[in-house]
Amino acid sequence: MSNAIVQIDNVTKRYRGLQQPAVSQLSLQITEGSVFGLLGPNGAGKSTLVMMMCGLLRPDAGSISVLGQSVSNNGDDIRKHIGVAPQEIALFPTLTAYENLFYFGRMYGLDSAIIKDRIEYYLRTFDLLEKGRRRVQTFSGGMKRRLNLIAALLHHPKLIILDEPTSGVDVQSRNMILDFLTQLASQKTTIIYSSHFLAEAERICTHLAILDLGKMVVQGAPKWVLEKNPGSHDLEQLFIKLTGKNIRD
Amino acid sequence: MKILATIYKEFLLLVRDPGGMALLFLMPLALVIVMALIQDAPFRDYQEIKLDVLFVNQDKDSLGIKIKESFKATPNINLIERNDTNVVRSLVNTGRFKAAIILPPHASQTLRQNSDELINQVLSNTGLSDKRSGALKIEKIRIRILFDPVIKANYKQVLSGAIEKMVTGVQAEWIIDELQNQLSENKPKIKKVKLDLSGLIEIQQNNESEKNTAGLELNSVQHNVPAWSMFAMFFILFPLAGNYIKEREEGSLLRLRLISGTQLPVVSGKFIFYWGICLVQFVLMMMVGIYIMPLLGLKSLTYGNNVGGIILTAVSVAIAATGFGTLVAVYFKTPQQALSFGSISVVILSAIGGVWVPVYVMPGILQHISNFSPLNWGLESFNDLFLRDAGTQLVLPNLTKLIVFGATTLTISIFINKSRTVS
Repeated sequence: MSNAIVQIDNVTKRYRGLQQPAVSQLSLQITEGSVFGLLGPNGAGKSTLVMMMCGLLRPDAGSISVLGQSVSNNGDDIRKHIGVAPQEIALFPTLTAYENLFYFGRMYGLDSAIIKDRIEYYLRTFDLLEKGRRRVQTFSGGMKRRLNLIAALLHHPKLIILDEPTSGVDVQSRNMILDFLTQLASQKTTIIYSSHFLAEAERICTHLAILDLGKMVVQGAPKWVLEKNPGSHDLEQLFIKLTGKNIRD
Repeated sequence: MKILATIYKEFLLLVRDPGGMALLFLMPLALVIVMALIQDAPFRDYQEIKLDVLFVNQDKDSLGIKIKESFKATPNINLIERNDTNVVRSLVNTGRFKAAIILPPHASQTLRQNSDELINQVLSNTGLSDKRSGALKIEKIRIRILFDPVIKANYKQVLSGAIEKMVTGVQAEWIIDELQNQLSENKPKIKKVKLDLSGLIEIQQNNESEKNTAGLELNSVQHNVPAWSMFAMFFILFPLAGNYIKEREEGSLLRLRLISGTQLPVVSGKFIFYWGICLVQFVLMMMVGIYIMPLLGLKSLTYGNNVGGIILTAVSVAIAATGFGTLVAVYFKTPQQALSFGSISVVILSAIGGVWVPVYVMPGILQHISNFSPLNWGLESFNDLFLRDAGTQLVLPNLTKLIVFGATTLTISIFINKSRTVS
């Protein structure tokens, strides 16, 4: 596919000391402008795959290219075009929202004026403008989660990777985040969306992949995936059907 | 710009952390003051021995009087006369007095007889007198010094040496007196001269300094202010490692790892910030040494004339301390590991480096090992500058070691940080 933003071919990654590979012979493509749901139970290999896409982990076998460049050789270049919102609230709690964003903007290499403009834009978009001068430690879970997302967007990345972006937030905040992501995808920004909230994935993802024990279980458009697996009325049913009911830690 | 941003971010994090501020600035100041006060007495022991000594004068004659007069002129010994030997023994063995001198009865008479004997022997040997023949009869005068068992060896040496010197002086005077008596016998026109033997030899004590200026004695303030300042500067690893690991655990460090080209600015920005903090700590502790110590009854810190050398030394120690702190912060993955290793290693490095007690009182093996402690390099440099008024050239080898140590630890830290970015 010519407009593949991420191309993963037969990638395997095994952590030292573990027999079971975290990711095993996995292949997938993510196209430009798509919202790609990366789903799977705990230990499925999602985080490992994300780290490999960002160039922070090297695959033992196979290849990954992002934005047409091999991650193995051009990790630093590729990271310039990736925005990652980790599952943790990766912010400095004693700094204000503004100070956090300004610092990360600087680290992205942006000019002061651009950073200020973007901070104002995103704080307004996510309804945080009035709280911009408050310390993050005083924020609610939803506010922190929105700010965590903004910090990944400041440099206008071509590819955004979101790990549980709506974890611990209320319905209103979740709605705001999902609407924003849908709007962002419509502007040709590619989003990789990792979540345990399958209803959310069903709502916003144009494509998805379900991983289990490091292997690809199924991938495709949500509607197509459900049609191919009769008997499952929604993604959650399909997820349980494909990955089982056993608790994963 | 990324480095500046990191420095500013670290500044904001610090000023909003009152506990961290106290740990960085108040605790070291308290440490320096407490250690200087505690060690003031032991340092006075080394250099300003002032002993209360009991004196039982059973002689009651001229030797006893001479000893009393001589001790009056001795600044380090205060003689207190008592009569009862048993009481004196009890006062010493219960530790209420550290020493007592017991001058036996008839000591003066015996000393005079001994002097006569010696002079007669000399004169008869040379044919100037025929007063004696036969073997020399010398009766030893047994002056006893009682010591409290806990007394330090150097006290014993000082007191024994002082008594020996006094008695020898008296003996010399009396020998010359007796010699004059014998030689002037039957010669009434010869007038006896009174000779003052004390002025024949003068011992000059100078604390040598490189510039031939009067060097200083090592006292509690001169030792403790630079020593514990360095100790506190090396403890920069606590906030540095704590902050670094906290950021790692909170995830902000992961976010930074995911931003292109941030490894060097993040590590070096932290390094520069905490290096600056070390320098501020040093300046504050110097101020305490100069202005606060005298208010507490201690001597004011004297820092010599080489301000440029002091700045260079402080900068070098700060580089070494921050480099070491950065390495500990980057290498260890949990606060427990980092802080346990960090605190123990700094205590060991400071102990062998001469922070706790001067290196010259350590066993030989430790004196050799201390050459490998960065705190020793720093402390030696400060001693050179403060006490010996040394030029920068003299401290340059130690400063080079400190800078190389700091640069090496920083380089390893950056390497580790980078290697952990991609694994």
